[in-house]
Amino acid sequence: MKTTDPATDRGLGADTPSLPAALTVIPEPAPPAPPRWRRFLVAVLVLALVWAVLTEFQPDAWVFGGPAVIAGSVLLALLPASPGWRLSPGGALAFALWFAVQSVRGAVDVAWRAVLPALPLRPGFRHHPLRLPHGAPRVMFVNTITLLPGTLSAEIAGDEVIVHMLDTRADLDADLAALEARIAALFALPQS
Amino acid sequence: MTPLELIAGALIALGAVFFIAGTVGVLRFPDIFCRLHALTKADGLGLGLVALGVGLLAASPGAVVRIALVWFFVVVASATCSHLIARHALERARRERS
Repeated sequence: MKTTDPATDRGLGADTPSLPAALTVIPEPAPPAPPRWRRFLVAVLVLALVWAVLTEFQPDAWVFGGPAVIAGSVLLALLPASPGWRLSPGGALAFALWFAVQSVRGAVDVAWRAVLPALPLRPGFRHHPLRLPHGAPRVMFVNTITLLPGTLSAEIAGDEVIVHMLDTRADLDADLAALEARIAALFALPQS
Repeated sequence: MTPLELIAGALIALGAVFFIAGTVGVLRFPDIFCRLHALTKADGLGLGLVALGVGLLAASPGAVVRIALVWFFVVVASATCSHLIARHALERARRERS
């Protein structure tokens, strides 16, 4: 096992070189979060629609779907509201196309490493500062890291994300800065 | 066999190749974190290719929408689950150290 140990790797400054100043998101006031009852109603409507489409509108499927829709919506209403957000249609399209290409690259990369006899891995952990605003942009960022080639978001520690890499020689900061810029465009965030 | 069926069959077979590669990764990779890479990425694309192939053969537009929805939710859930599993594994490693 050549794995870098996460506990000793933490706080090792040499692993995190100065970051490229590619992206600075100006902290502007996000749209206000909708009130609790409206979040509940929207969740009920969206989840019910998804369930109806998945089950071909069969009435007896609601025996399972009804309780699940209510339970999911109650949970969402109980959780603290995250800041509101808006999508940019152009940014969303560009992001979807880029993401499709990247996830294919990521899958081919990991499949190749798995089947090569030499098992080419140099796994380890890296820290990356979270520069996107709280709420949907951050959730999107952390989840997308996992589907990019060679990276997996392992933990959020304060304003940092701990990323597991299959090969620590890859340029993590450049890759994640590119992802940050694309997510900022997706959510129509101002960039300087 | 129509050309469409041929394309669909090729997509499904290619999807199966990625599922197998993901499974090989789970068996061969040295630790839980590397295995999560194999599961989320290779299986996500494998399912995407199978879904694309099946979608080409689907009888109705409704079926295509359902297949796309299933793929979307599987990918989102697998990314979130692998994050939760990795976080738990890190916490446990830290607990065992202290």
